Amino acid sequence: MSFVLVQVIVGGLLLGAVYALFSSGLTLVWGMMNIVNFAHGDFVMLGMYVAYVVYTLMGGGPILGAPLATLVLATLGVIVYFGLIRDIMKGPMLAQILGTFGLALLLRYSVFWWFGANFLSMPQDIVGGTFAVAGLRIEASRLLAGVVALLVTFGLHLLLTRTSLGSKMLAVAEDATAAQLMGIRPDTMQAIAWAIAAGATGLAGALIANFFYIVPTVGETLAIVAFVTVSLGGFGSVPGALVAGLLIGVIESLSGYLIGAVYKDIVVYVLFLFFLWFRPQGLMGKM
Amino acid sequence: MTLKHVTGLLCAAAMSLALAAGARAEDKVVKIGVIMPMSGGTASIGAHAKAAIEVAMDIINNAHPELGNLPLAKNAGLAGLGGAKVEAIFADNQGNPATGQNQALRLITEDKVAAVFGAYQSGITLTSSAIAEKYGIPYLNSESVAANLTERGFKWFFRTTPIATDFAKIYVDFLADLKAQGGKTDNVAVVHDNTEYGTSVANTISAAFKEKGQPIALDVAYPVNATDLQGQVLQLKDKKPDVIIMISYTSDAILFAKTMQSLDYKPPVLLADDAGYSDPSFIKAVGKISQGVFNRSSWAVGPSGSPSAIIADMYKKKSGEEMDDTVGRQMQGFFVLVDAIDRAGSTDPAKVQAALKATDLKPDQLMMGYKGVKFDDKGQNVLASGLIIQLQDGENYVAVWPKANAAKAPMLPYKGW
Amino acid sequence: MRRLLWLSVVAAVAIAYPLLLSSPFQQRLGALVLLYAIAASAWNIVGGYAGQISVGHVVFFGCGAYAAMGAYAKFGLSPLFGIPGGIVLAAGLAAVIGVPTLRLSGHYFSMATIAVAETMRLIVTNTDYLGAAVGLSGPTVPRNIFDLSFLSSLPYYYLFLVILAITLLITWWMANSRMGFYLRAIKDSERAARSLGAPASRTKLYAFMLSAALTSVAGALYAMMFGFVDPESGLGILISVKILIMAALGGAGLLFGPLVGAAILVPLEEISNSWLGGKGAGLTFVVYGAIIVLIARFQPGGILSLFKRRAKPNVDKGAGHAP
Repeated sequence: MSFVLVQVIVGGLLLGAVYALFSSGLTLVWGMMNIVNFAHGDFVMLGMYVAYVVYTLMGGGPILGAPLATLVLATLGVIVYFGLIRDIMKGPMLAQILGTFGLALLLRYSVFWWFGANFLSMPQDIVGGTFAVAGLRIEASRLLAGVVALLVTFGLHLLLTRTSLGSKMLAVAEDATAAQLMGIRPDTMQAIAWAIAAGATGLAGALIANFFYIVPTVGETLAIVAFVTVSLGGFGSVPGALVAGLLIGVIESLSGYLIGAVYKDIVVYVLFLFFLWFRPQGLMGKM
Repeated sequence: MTLKHVTGLLCAAAMSLALAAGARAEDKVVKIGVIMPMSGGTASIGAHAKAAIEVAMDIINNAHPELGNLPLAKNAGLAGLGGAKVEAIFADNQGNPATGQNQALRLITEDKVAAVFGAYQSGITLTSSAIAEKYGIPYLNSESVAANLTERGFKWFFRTTPIATDFAKIYVDFLADLKAQGGKTDNVAVVHDNTEYGTSVANTISAAFKEKGQPIALDVAYPVNATDLQGQVLQLKDKKPDVIIMISYTSDAILFAKTMQSLDYKPPVLLADDAGYSDPSFIKAVGKISQGVFNRSSWAVGPSGSPSAIIADMYKKKSGEEMDDTVGRQMQGFFVLVDAIDRAGSTDPAKVQAALKATDLKPDQLMMGYKGVKFDDKGQNVLASGLIIQLQDGENYVAVWPKANAAKAPMLPYKGW
Repeated sequence: MRRLLWLSVVAAVAIAYPLLLSSPFQQRLGALVLLYAIAASAWNIVGGYAGQISVGHVVFFGCGAYAAMGAYAKFGLSPLFGIPGGIVLAAGLAAVIGVPTLRLSGHYFSMATIAVAETMRLIVTNTDYLGAAVGLSGPTVPRNIFDLSFLSSLPYYYLFLVILAITLLITWWMANSRMGFYLRAIKDSERAARSLGAPASRTKLYAFMLSAALTSVAGALYAMMFGFVDPESGLGILISVKILIMAALGGAGLLFGPLVGAAILVPLEEISNSWLGGKGAGLTFVVYGAIIVLIARFQPGGILSLFKRRAKPNVDKGAGHAP
């Protein structure tokens, strides 16, 4: 294997970890509440803007920006849950698409109104540039995002499988009425799920902002990737999203390098469709 | 009940339209419809264009004797129409050809504009100018580069900007000059996105180099608004071309700069084709790691006190941004259009059309570095031209080629960061 | 009887509209409402009646649009001649896509259709024969009446009205046939429908193909009216979403739901853009987005479900939710 190919694969893995990072929040609400959130990409975008504001107003880096973005987005998640999601959840799937698509436009263009349409960017040296390991060049900001992606996945998985809060949340996801009879309040659990999901998404945005450009429409670019990652991984499966993200990252990198960048998304979509043909519930989803 | 909703809404629509139509043009105001992308992914272009045209209106509507030979600047308003003021009516094309056409129709039939100006994206210029053509209203385009726009046999369509064939020639000549000075420019790679702009410009450039007997060595296409460009940079790093010609919008231009730094790749010569590399956001975001990038432009600021420097200052006050080539071409186009209306002495479409056809502006009457403005039968400005600028310090572009217009000598090789 | 009365009033208003509000922009607005109503009604067959939420319908829209423009650009024919080609192409493609994807449940079907649509957009973007990213243009100057390139929107308006009437008739006929009965059963519970002997797969596939064919007609008409199609405007995912939210907003699974949705959203979009778009602050979409959110929040079954429930309480199971 040529050396360049190794760099391509490493780059793909880092890219995939980022995909996994901004998809974990989506898969959580999708799996738990059967809600498809068309505004997910715009949550990522908001996280990026929070990080940017933290940087420009306070000169803070990711140490300050990332937790703040998590906090702000988690709050927004709770507001969105009680203001919109709680009601459209009871409606048909179409109402969810309608509501979250409207929300996406509302968020995107509120930011647009406030910040304007110019492309923004964080300074290069905010997360320590690039370092070389055995000739492989790795961006510190991407590595940070990748490591956090692993931590978030692991943390969410532990939360869902090892804590009582997680069991309660899963109980509500399984059967809200039965859970209520057991003394669990579905509203609270679901609001917590939204806070966690939106918080994780905000965190993702803040970390991506360190190596990507920031613009109100950036969520559009990211949303479709997140959708494919989540369905490939299986709705609701956090580890599934990680594996799917890494897989998509590597496939994109390799096909972009070997076949041509304009075909890399075609390769991903076609493989995704083939995969659904054989395993309609995704990588790690339940039937 | 359905009906109540529908009719209610339609009534509201009707009322709004009636109101709009009620405010009919006063005799003293010349309305010009301006269609630009003001939302969506290219909205920053529309915001900059709006500021530029507001500056242009200030120059036209108020006396600005300090601007020398620039037509319309000396006195307030349009002398040819008894001092009438110009009013631009802005419309958002939303980056959508259908919306652009709907807005052109609205501007022509509801606002009764004397002419239409727009629309940035070639596809939208195509659909919106088709409406102007059907209504017989002059349409001036100042920045769309698709060749087919002036090949449709339209009688009301005029374009002031240089197009791909013009700047392909600039690149060929510029690189030949660099070679004559001892630079290595044999192995040229073209990197472009897969939009209509990227593909058509890349094809034209490839054809021009082929004609010159120096075929393009490497053609790298990538999808617009890419999430990752590592593969493309590695490909270039692998093939080591002497010159890279970059055809990218702002988003990808920023990502390319960041990826090239992280993978430690510097081509000997990096030559950009306007667009993203001219966006002030690009310079703010990654200018410091793109030092020495060449760029094509028709805009170069003159010494302080010169008309172009004054205009650049006015624009900066208005928008907070540095003037760049794209807004410069838009402002210039607007001046050409209004100058024709002034010379026509009327907003009668046929007279404006005749005046546009008779346009013959000299370089000293322009704010841009064109050799002049003169339209051929198809409506294309035959005197449009450009120069090469370089981002030597990472903050401001300076003109470096051709020698006659150069403020500094080209700096080689590409420095990066 | 009441229904018939309403129907004739709606028809009368539809016929009289462009004569009463006769400015070119108002007429065009009317034509656009009808055009989107055709597309949304076509989507309604599979999305509303069968409950299969396709987010990739733009593929079929694009088939029609490209067939119409292709007929002109490649063969010098009137774009009209592209319509049958578009229908065949769309129905055939629907069969190819439908067989593997329609067995997917719920969200997986939606995601698969998104993937198909994006794949098609990318393929066309990279296909020189189809104009790649530059797109295909229609006749710039009409050669004869069959080029369907008019200055006024009036001919488009009545053409679209006739085609919308046909689309709604087909939908109505289908909904009241055995197929409609099967579809409603499948929408309620596919497993129950299968166990009762309803040919679920075949019925869904037929609905998908019918919906695709009608959507392609809308795409062809769209391209003819604007004289242009490119990958973004003919195959962009946003068009799918737009069609879908029109149906959802008016009331999916209801005959007149898509028309109501189009009659609200199209003027809302065009007029708010005319008022606010020029300010360049993105306010158009703040308003547009907020209104959609409010409707989804307070009327999740679509506008029409409000009246439906009032007329007949406790019937609309598909769209219903506790108040």
